Amino acid sequence: MKLLIGQILPYITVTLFTLGILYRLGRWAGARIVHNITLSPWLKSNTEVAIRIGAEAFLFRNLFRFDLALWAGALLMHFALLNILGGHVVGFGFLGEQFAFIPGISPELSKEMSDLLGTVFGILLFVALLYLLYRRVALTPVKQVSNPSDILWLVYLLVLVGVGNIMRLFHAVHVEYEMVRDYILALILFQPVMHMELLDNVFFLTHYLLVQVLLILFPFSKLMHLFGMFAERWIVNRVYKDPAPGLPNVDVAAARRAGIGLPSGGAAEEGV
Amino acid sequence: MPEYKGMVQPVRATPDEMRKIHIEPVPDEEKPQKALEYLDEIRKKFRSFVLAMESCTKCGQCAENCHTYLGTRDPNNIPTNRAELIRKIYRRYFTLEGRWFGKLVGAEDISLDIIEQWYSYFYQCSQCRRCAHVCPFGIDTCEVTFIGRQILHWLGITPKLHASVGAAMERVGNHTNLPKPGIVDTLEFMTEEIMDEFGVEVEFPVDKPESDIMYIPSSADFLLNPYTLMGAGMFFTYIGANWTIPSTVTEAGNFGLLFDQYYTQRHNVMRLLNAAQDLGVKKIVWGECGHGWRAAKMYIPSLADRPVRWPITHIHDEVADMIRKNELKLDPAKNSQPVTLHDPCNYVRACGLNENMRVIMRACVSDFREMEPHGMDNFCCGGGSGILFDDPEMYQRRIQLSQKKADQVRATGVGKNGDGILCAPCSICKAQLYPMVEEHELGVEVKGLIDLVGKALVWK
Repeated sequence: MKLLIGQILPYITVTLFTLGILYRLGRWAGARIVHNITLSPWLKSNTEVAIRIGAEAFLFRNLFRFDLALWAGALLMHFALLNILGGHVVGFGFLGEQFAFIPGISPELSKEMSDLLGTVFGILLFVALLYLLYRRVALTPVKQVSNPSDILWLVYLLVLVGVGNIMRLFHAVHVEYEMVRDYILALILFQPVMHMELLDNVFFLTHYLLVQVLLILFPFSKLMHLFGMFAERWIVNRVYKDPAPGLPNVDVAAARRAGIGLPSGGAAEEGV
Repeated sequence: MPEYKGMVQPVRATPDEMRKIHIEPVPDEEKPQKALEYLDEIRKKFRSFVLAMESCTKCGQCAENCHTYLGTRDPNNIPTNRAELIRKIYRRYFTLEGRWFGKLVGAEDISLDIIEQWYSYFYQCSQCRRCAHVCPFGIDTCEVTFIGRQILHWLGITPKLHASVGAAMERVGNHTNLPKPGIVDTLEFMTEEIMDEFGVEVEFPVDKPESDIMYIPSSADFLLNPYTLMGAGMFFTYIGANWTIPSTVTEAGNFGLLFDQYYTQRHNVMRLLNAAQDLGVKKIVWGECGHGWRAAKMYIPSLADRPVRWPITHIHDEVADMIRKNELKLDPAKNSQPVTLHDPCNYVRACGLNENMRVIMRACVSDFREMEPHGMDNFCCGGGSGILFDDPEMYQRRIQLSQKKADQVRATGVGKNGDGILCAPCSICKAQLYPMVEEHELGVEVKGLIDLVGKALVWK
């Protein structure tokens, strides 16, 4: 098990994840934008387009405008997730001392901040996922649009995040940053990792396996909305400029001076 | 066949009627296989469709934002579920996910029942794009139902209404089967009407060579909405334009957009370009028609088979431009009844006409009240994409589909004294709302926007 999850699978995961995403993106690129289906009111410049797509991608503008509860749940979930992913990178990368780059923060304080933030965002992510799951089973329209896989994904993420939180919250199964850093380094350098203490932690192994399965399924699942969102916005949010108004050979003032349309006899005074 | 296994369906065209629009109906037993073939072909072409199939996360935001779901509460009328009718087939045959996990991810085998489901639900969708507008990703269900309807059409399943319109377009160049003598007669009658009612002399030049402007009216304006056409005639006369109406294309609409974007829609585009060339015009101005304006403004560039030498604008663009330049003398007191504006979906979400309509409105009426929501957030009239079916089952459904609109109009209070005006500057909106304001007893009269311009013009 240790050999499979810790030593072999990671290389397979990275390969499938990368190729899978390239496959899906290639599939999308193969079909064309045939007609102009830009949504109006028009965006007038590429700056406006960037602002709109940015607002949709990072602030969930449309959810905010049309469904505040969903906005709150979805934004919290994604924001916490983004921080946790970032936290994994910098936490393992700088061993929790990433905040010490900010003047006035000591390495010890940084480690404490890192711990605190990781714990808080882990719990927030779990709560937000629970809320999204609640919507799927309790709100009629959301229930009506859900496939079994939509609910399964949420449960899957809850388990994954839950195991992660257990490692944070319970000292007995806690994982030190150094252990993970050394392990990742060894993987990158294609060195054996089987002797590492890290792989004896069942919680770590479970968490790690769930992550890898997720990454393998990622390119073939709804999780691809991470990229699909931008690809779709690229179609419907573009710059459009209306053709100039103005009619050829029309001089309204001259036409009115000439009294065009007025009956010569002036017979129909009152209607005019 | 107005119902199939409990689903409402519009009356469909007979095989002979399908042959008139160049489609040989596919026998029932071959339909599932053929549907897959057509789907496979078309999915490789349209990225908007592929992304609608592959990017939805089922957040459910579209549900409460679709007037069809609000009016019927039928789960298959939730935009993402409507798309799911085709997505479950797409998944099953064209994605790894669907092939591996089947029902778990909502993949399903194709069958005749599914095709019948498509026919029922894709023709309850108004293709109003409100779901695209509210979707966090911008996924456009309209792109899915366009393609669903296209596949149905190739299979030989098209509503009688749409098929007969398609045939009429090819025969005479308009949706209502009005031949040139009928057009000329009606226009002469309108000249007399304008003289009687407004006391001004307005000619409607038909096929006048060397005209500067070619005006494309909606053919419904000849019969159902005469004041819109009369308003346009008065406007062009007032500004002293050298204009004409081409007898070969007396149609602002293009039903091809709604059921056959290949032959039917393209054919009508060529017809228009031929007319513009024959008459030597310099600019094309479009009449009041929502889907037709979208088809013209957004689709002619990608459908034309030659360079399009003529700028194409909407009559609202031109009127609003002249109002901004202070060239028109308009008296809002001539339209003193309370007025509210129904924004045609295609104008505000696909063509950017939003502000221009309001410029005109403010200049022409004295008591204008916005409905909520309005502009780009507006709800459809319930008739969008030509689902104006008259058989009893579908007519009942139309009443349901217009429920949201009725609530909106009522909330403005314009119909309180029974003399309000519901301005709906689109022929499909008008055709839907004429009976619907009666069904919902709204106390308003339905009018176009150019109707109000014509009435407000001050001639001296």
